[in-house]
Amino acid sequence: MLKVEGLRASVAGREVLHGVDLEVPAGEVHLLLGPNAAGKTTLLSAIMGLPHVQVTDGRVFLGEHEVTLLPPWERAMRGLALAFQIPPEFRGLKLSTLLEKVAERHGTTDMMGGVVELLRLDGLLDREAFRGFSGGERKRAELAVTLLQKPRAAMLDEPDSGVDLESVGIVASAIERLARRGAAVLVVTHTSFLAERLDGEAHILLDGVVKASGPAREMLERIREYGFGEVDGGGSS
Amino acid sequence: MVEAVARERVREALSKKAEYGPDVDLTQFRLEKPRVAVGDPDASLLAEAQRKVGLNPGSISYFQAGETAFYKMMEATLAKMGVVVKPLRIALKEDERARRIAWSLVPPDKDKYTAAAYLYGGELGYYVYVPPGVRVEQPIYTCLSLFTGGEVQFTHNIVYVDEGAEAHVTTGCMVPHGVKGGLHIGISEFYVAPGAKLGYTMLHSWAPGVHVRPRTAVRVEEGGEYHSYYAVYSPVASIQSYPQVRLARGAYAKLTSIVSAEAGGVYDLGGRAVLEGEGAAAEMVSRVMAREGSTVVARNEIDAKTGGTRGHIECLGLLLDDASRVDSVPIISSLAPGAELTHEAAIGSLSEENIAYLEAKGFTEEEARALLLRGFLSVEEPGLPPLIRSEIERIVDFIVKNAVG
Repeated sequence: MLKVEGLRASVAGREVLHGVDLEVPAGEVHLLLGPNAAGKTTLLSAIMGLPHVQVTDGRVFLGEHEVTLLPPWERAMRGLALAFQIPPEFRGLKLSTLLEKVAERHGTTDMMGGVVELLRLDGLLDREAFRGFSGGERKRAELAVTLLQKPRAAMLDEPDSGVDLESVGIVASAIERLARRGAAVLVVTHTSFLAERLDGEAHILLDGVVKASGPAREMLERIREYGFGEVDGGGSS
Repeated sequence: MVEAVARERVREALSKKAEYGPDVDLTQFRLEKPRVAVGDPDASLLAEAQRKVGLNPGSISYFQAGETAFYKMMEATLAKMGVVVKPLRIALKEDERARRIAWSLVPPDKDKYTAAAYLYGGELGYYVYVPPGVRVEQPIYTCLSLFTGGEVQFTHNIVYVDEGAEAHVTTGCMVPHGVKGGLHIGISEFYVAPGAKLGYTMLHSWAPGVHVRPRTAVRVEEGGEYHSYYAVYSPVASIQSYPQVRLARGAYAKLTSIVSAEAGGVYDLGGRAVLEGEGAAAEMVSRVMAREGSTVVARNEIDAKTGGTRGHIECLGLLLDDASRVDSVPIISSLAPGAELTHEAAIGSLSEENIAYLEAKGFTEEEARALLLRGFLSVEEPGLPPLIRSEIERIVDFIVKNAVG
């Protein structure tokens, strides 16, 4: 289970999150929806403890344990994972080496073959990680890293953006696999394709707070009909 | 008479400064009497060779400590294949090929260091000859060690790989424990005959106060290949080398340099490839990092003298503190249409974005830095024999551990 209580956070001295409350139970996939600049990536970064985001108030729980004050690596070792929207390119570090090191670190070396096959990464293993990768290749490789972390809670930042339809299907399968293993999964997405395939709850983030939560299909319908600005009426949980 | 004139010209070159690198006053160092000795070097020296440059004492074909060459060690099993490994001084008396190559690729009056080696070196060093068509699977190991400190060590090495033959020579250079200071001048002349292949790995483990001036030239004949892997991973007062590789028609060379500069030293390294024949190609790859007030100059040059040639230079530098300096000097020049020459050079620091990413995947900051450094220093070199590859892995681990703490 991933839980956030009253989270306030700033980036470069400007408050972006104004008290976010959110809960994703184990084994469920929840969507985080919202317009550009709503604070979605900042929220995931704050939960992960990334250094460019300063958390000023609130608490983050992984299961029963609070992780708010832990460094990112320790959160990761306790089972929290963040799949970056745009992972950085690595010079000299092969994707195969990155995957091996992550697998060694999280005790999942035996999963390597299966993950590489699931995400169709064979042709990328000898290349420098994320360097010159296409949109789909980047997302699939980053998801592989996330799967090898065998997380208890995974946050995926736009895993379907810039991705061809075939890759979206692969990405969706990987997300379902995470949930089947019991992980709490929070997915930021802008596209309806992935949103419609992943049936679960959705949360609408607007101006740094969660304005509404409810069944994903229902929320998507309302967004299509009225736009993000009109979803903070009924239906919030 | 001609010999006397040439010798006089070399004598004049004793005051000729090198084109690159800090000038070293040769008179600061002691000249020892060069000698060829019977027997093994001291056991502690052999043990250090294993520890510092990874050479197994039993497999070393040539060991030179200071100005003493130990020739018992050269009676190697390689003889069974017709491979010759002997002191150059002896080879120059017995072998016409050695005489033909000696000082033909490196001119003795090139600078004060070559001149000193020519006049005072006594032709210590190794001579390796690989007969036509022979493929030597195991690396041929040689070791050059300073001895007491404060002395000049001269070494003149010739490797001749005959037509269609293949060999890999590995030379470890080191300083025994406790020895500080000294000057190493190494002259290396390599001849790669048509269709032959030579791999050469040079592992430098020097010490503070030591100055190192290798002077290397390689001739690669038609269809031949030369692969050089050059790793410098210790403190040194200064090291400057600019090997020249000349490539005939269809020949190929790859020069890889890994430099970890530290402790205020000056590391001026790289090389020059000259594409003389149609279809010749060269690749030069440098990975350099500088810390603790050190300076690295990575010079790489490819000259195309004819069309239908290809060359690429890749130089990546990492500056690990603000007291150090990295200069990258890539030069590509073409004298003929139809040559394809490219270069890529970049100097930076370890990326904070990369570090933050790895921390989010479960690595501490120190582990993230080590992983990035390791990746930076790893250069694909398929031509390396497995034994050398594992030694290089060990060296890269050592560099990373020292740099990250």
